[in-house]
Amino acid sequence: MLTAVRNQIRISLLTTKYALVREMLNKATFFMNIVFMILNDASFIIQWVILYSIQDGIGGYNLKQVLLLWGLAAGTFGFSRFFFYRAFNLSEIINNGKLDSYLVQPKNVLLSVITSDVSTSALGDIFYAYIMAFIYKCSITNILLFTFFIITGGLILVSISVILSSLSFWFQKADMIAETGVSLMTSFATYPDGIFKGAVKILFYTLLPVGFVNYIPVGILSEFRLEYLILVFVVALFFIVLAFVVFYRGLHRYSSSNLMISKI
Amino acid sequence: MRKYLYIYKSEIMSNLQYVSNILFGFIGYFILLFVFFNLWKYLYSDPNELIHGYSMEQTIWYVIVTEILWGTVGGRKLCQKISNDVKGGNIAYNMNKPYDYVGYSLFNHLGIATIKGIIYIILGFLLGILFLRMVPSHTIITILLVLLSSIMATIISCFLIITIGLFSFLIEDSNPLYWVYSKLILILGTLFPIEFFPKIVQPILTYSPIYAVAYGPAKLFVNFSWDVCLQVFITQMIYITIGYILCKFIYNRGVKKLNVNGG
Repeated sequence: MLTAVRNQIRISLLTTKYALVREMLNKATFFMNIVFMILNDASFIIQWVILYSIQDGIGGYNLKQVLLLWGLAAGTFGFSRFFFYRAFNLSEIINNGKLDSYLVQPKNVLLSVITSDVSTSALGDIFYAYIMAFIYKCSITNILLFTFFIITGGLILVSISVILSSLSFWFQKADMIAETGVSLMTSFATYPDGIFKGAVKILFYTLLPVGFVNYIPVGILSEFRLEYLILVFVVALFFIVLAFVVFYRGLHRYSSSNLMISKI
Repeated sequence: MRKYLYIYKSEIMSNLQYVSNILFGFIGYFILLFVFFNLWKYLYSDPNELIHGYSMEQTIWYVIVTEILWGTVGGRKLCQKISNDVKGGNIAYNMNKPYDYVGYSLFNHLGIATIKGIIYIILGFLLGILFLRMVPSHTIITILLVLLSSIMATIISCFLIITIGLFSFLIEDSNPLYWVYSKLILILGTLFPIEFFPKIVQPILTYSPIYAVAYGPAKLFVNFSWDVCLQVFITQMIYITIGYILCKFIYNRGVKKLNVNGG
C-alpha cells in the first residue's frame, strides 16, 4: 500500500516536471508569466494601503496580517494551480468524454488527470506568498507552518474543485457550479473575516471552507494553537477523501465520446 | 459602417442563446458587491460620516457602477481572442476580408458587451436598491448622459484591450500584460474614487485612462455636475482617438512582420 502511494506520488511529480519542462521551452514567456503574476498580486497592496489610511484596524487585522492573508491566499491558489491545474477544468474533460486515455493508465485516474498540466503563472503566486511571509517577518518555524498551510489550503481548493466538477458525471452545467464555487472561495479569501457578520461566517466553516484555508491558518501564524493546527489537517484530509469518493462514484457513470486525441 | 453594424447585430443574436451563462457569471459580481458592501459598512462606522467627501451610499454606488462597466467589457476574453488570433495565425484569414480587423474586433465584442451591459445594469441596480434602499437622484437627461459616458467608457476599454492583445505580435503571450492592466483598472479605478488616493497621485490618475473608463461615468452617476460632465466627455473623446490610433499603429506594424505557417 505504502509503495503504491509512493509510486503514485513519484509519477505525479514526474508528470508535473515534464509539464514544467514543456512550459519552459519559451523561456521569455515563462519568466514573464511569473514576474507579471507577482506584479499582479502585488498591485493589491495599494488597495490595502488606501483602506488602512482610512482606518487602522480592519476586521481585527492590521496591515501586515492582511498582507499575510493575501500571501496565504496567493500561495494556496498557486499551489493548487501549479500541481493540480487540470482539477480546475475537470468538468470540461468529463463533459467532452476525454477521460479515456487516463482510464487505460495503470495508475490512479483522478491523480493522473489533475496533475497532467501546470500553470506557469501559478509559480508567481507561490513566490508572492513567500515574499509576503518575508514582509511579515515569519520565523523559520512560521515559514514551515506557512508552507504546511499552503499545502493543506491548496489541497482543500483542489478537492472542492474536484467535488463540484465531478457533478458533471450527473449534470450538464456542473462546470459553472465548479467555477462559481472556486471563485467564491478566492473572493472571500482575500478579505478579513471580521468585516462579515451573521450567517456568512457559518458558511466559511461549512460549505465554503475559506476559514480552514485562510482565516484559521493566519490566526495560528499570529498565535500558535495546536488544536487548530490539527483541525486544519483533519479538515483537509476530509475534503481529499470526499473528493476521491465523489469522483470515483461519478466515474461509474462516465461514457466515452470516442474522441481521438493524441497525448504527448 | 453598415458592415460593422451587421457584425454587431449578428454577435448580439448569437449571444442571446447564452444568456443563462451570463446570468451564472453574475454570481461572481454579486459576491464582489457583497464583500464591498460589508467592507464599506465596516469602514463607515457612522452611516452619516463622509470619507473624502463621499457618503457610504455614494461610495457603494460608485463600486456598483464601476463593476457594471468592468463586467460589461469582459476584457479577459477579448484579450485572449486577439492574442490567440495573432499566435494561431487566424489573423491571416481576417486580413483579406473586406473589413478592418480592429473595427471587426471592436464591433464583434460590443455585441456580447451590449447583452452583458443590459443584464448587469438591471441586476446591479436591483442589488444597489436591495443593499442601500436608495438611488442617487437624476433627471432623464442626466441619466442619458451617464449612459452615453458609460458606452464611451466601454469603447475605450475595448480599444485599450485590443491594443494589449495585439502586443502578441511583439511578445508571444500578451495575457500577462492584461493581468497588470486589469488590476490597475480594478484597484485605481474600480474599488474607490480618485479622491481616496494621496493628493500627489490624483492628477496622474485624472489624466490616465482610469478617469475615462471607470471614474468618469461613476462620478457622474453618484454626484452629477455639468463641469465634471464636460470634462469627462472631452477626456473620453481624446482617449477614443488615442485608443484607435494605438490599435491601428500596432496592428499595421505587426502584420508587416506576420509569418504564418500553412496547414
